Amino acid sequence: MSEFLTLEDLTLAYGGTVAVDRLNLDIRQGELIALLGPSGCGKTTTMRAVAGLLSPKSGSIRLDGRDITRVAPSRREVGLVFQSYALFPHLSVFENVAFGLRLKREPDLSAKVLAGLATVGLADFASRAPADLSGGQQQRVALARSLVMNPKVLLLDEPLSNLDARLRLEMRLELQRVQRETGVTMIFVTHDQSEALALADRIVVMRDGAIEQVGAPEEIWTAPASAFVADFVGFETILPDPETGGALAWRPAAVALGEGPHSGTVRGVSFAGASREYVLDTPLGVVKAEAPASEAPLAPGAAVAFDLPRAAAARLPGPL
Amino acid sequence: MSPRAAAWAVLAVVLTFLIGPFVIIVLAGLSAGQSLAFPPQGLSLQWYIKVFTIESFQASFAMSMFLAVFGTLAALALGIPAAYGMSRYKVPGAETVRLIVSAPIIVPGIIVGLGLLRYLVIPTGIGIATALFLAHTALILPYAVRVVSASLENLRTDIEEAAVLLGCSRFGAFAKVVLPNIRGGVLAAFILGFVTSFNQVPVSLFLSGPGVRTLPVDMIAYMEINYDPSVAALSALLAFMSVAIVFAAEKFLGFSKYV
Repeated sequence: MSEFLTLEDLTLAYGGTVAVDRLNLDIRQGELIALLGPSGCGKTTTMRAVAGLLSPKSGSIRLDGRDITRVAPSRREVGLVFQSYALFPHLSVFENVAFGLRLKREPDLSAKVLAGLATVGLADFASRAPADLSGGQQQRVALARSLVMNPKVLLLDEPLSNLDARLRLEMRLELQRVQRETGVTMIFVTHDQSEALALADRIVVMRDGAIEQVGAPEEIWTAPASAFVADFVGFETILPDPETGGALAWRPAAVALGEGPHSGTVRGVSFAGASREYVLDTPLGVVKAEAPASEAPLAPGAAVAFDLPRAAAARLPGPL
Repeated sequence: MSPRAAAWAVLAVVLTFLIGPFVIIVLAGLSAGQSLAFPPQGLSLQWYIKVFTIESFQASFAMSMFLAVFGTLAALALGIPAAYGMSRYKVPGAETVRLIVSAPIIVPGIIVGLGLLRYLVIPTGIGIATALFLAHTALILPYAVRVVSASLENLRTDIEEAAVLLGCSRFGAFAKVVLPNIRGGVLAAFILGFVTSFNQVPVSLFLSGPGVRTLPVDMIAYMEINYDPSVAALSALLAFMSVAIVFAAEKFLGFSKYV
């Protein structure tokens, strides 16, 4: 399938500060994309530019064959679900969902609104006020409000971060179901790698206003393209590789504790349920390891031998 | 004296000072006698009735009503956009603007009135009524900006972006999403402005001319010639009007939330 949404050399700035620098990204129709990165990496700024709430300093945005760089937000056919939901407090749930359709003078208003509410499982809540709903329900209303406009791209700003753990799983499944049923192209912004891995077809890892890596979750998880991405997805020990001039990265579980050619001192230990996590001070640098909780714990200050097996490491191109 | 008794005593003193003058005025207006006195000489409603027949009061009441209603509306027409601009955009010097807008509260009314007379009315020759309207608008503006600012402060800004994304213009988003959510504050500002304008004396004192004066100024003028209980009766009626307005606002809008 060809590109549906294309960001080309997109440069975004707030005042004089460049937040995103010449970003290029192609997104296919029906994809579920995660923009992943720490706060300040430019992911939300990028999303706001796609929505039209921020005009680019330079570069272009094309959607479905049309240049929308200078098109007004309301004419872009792009929906946005805000992190805080941004429901209209003075309107009922029904009127919130109907808001955009009324402006379009939709003849089939009532049926479309009720169908939209049914899609997110809130058919019985049409007459409620937003303030009477839980956070999860408010988010569903916000989702329905965007979906009934039949957008070409639906943007979601940190869709799971305001929900508790149980609701988060429920909402994750809900988003995947809505995406399957409607086929809408979705881009969501998150700082949580587990959300991105669980939900996205492809993950765009961003850092300091630029893309660090784009790939399927498996690819990001197993073959990070840089030390930054590796660290972000849990490769906590990253050391230079003298053989290739690049670097090697290990997850704590890949570090073999107990025997091996290296030795270090336990600086700290924390219990994590199924395992214990150790921070070791070693001549190589700080190494993070973990061992099954069933094994006897090592005390802080204890000396321990360990191995960093090459086979279990991710290879990173370029020096650290 | 126990602390409890002391607290009651303080409460009694405060209530006496707050409500005492009001009670005295109401009773003085009920007098059957010919001159303003307390306690009243006998009881009758004659002065409360006579107030409505005094022609000069009818004209000045109309003037005061006009100023209170339209001065407040004008102040809101200026104050709502000002408050909105200051809350939504990081304007350089917003604090200075806020201070200038508040100046009519800070500067004594006598000075405002004298200044307007000397440097606006006399040099430009604009009518007294126009000058009164401008003065009252300026006097109410600080209240309009403050009260509306307070309710804008509590309103999240992303709902405007949401409205824009759903098809509104920036102005449409303001009208459809912002205004309905600050209407309580706008009504509170209207009531506060109305009462302030209606009870305004020092500025209006300077801005009066043949046949054009506000009701409070007219009452002072009347009292200098006729020392009868009708002024007390009128004062009591005006006080009742203010109380009724504030009471209704509190009951229907939760007025005290906004002030």
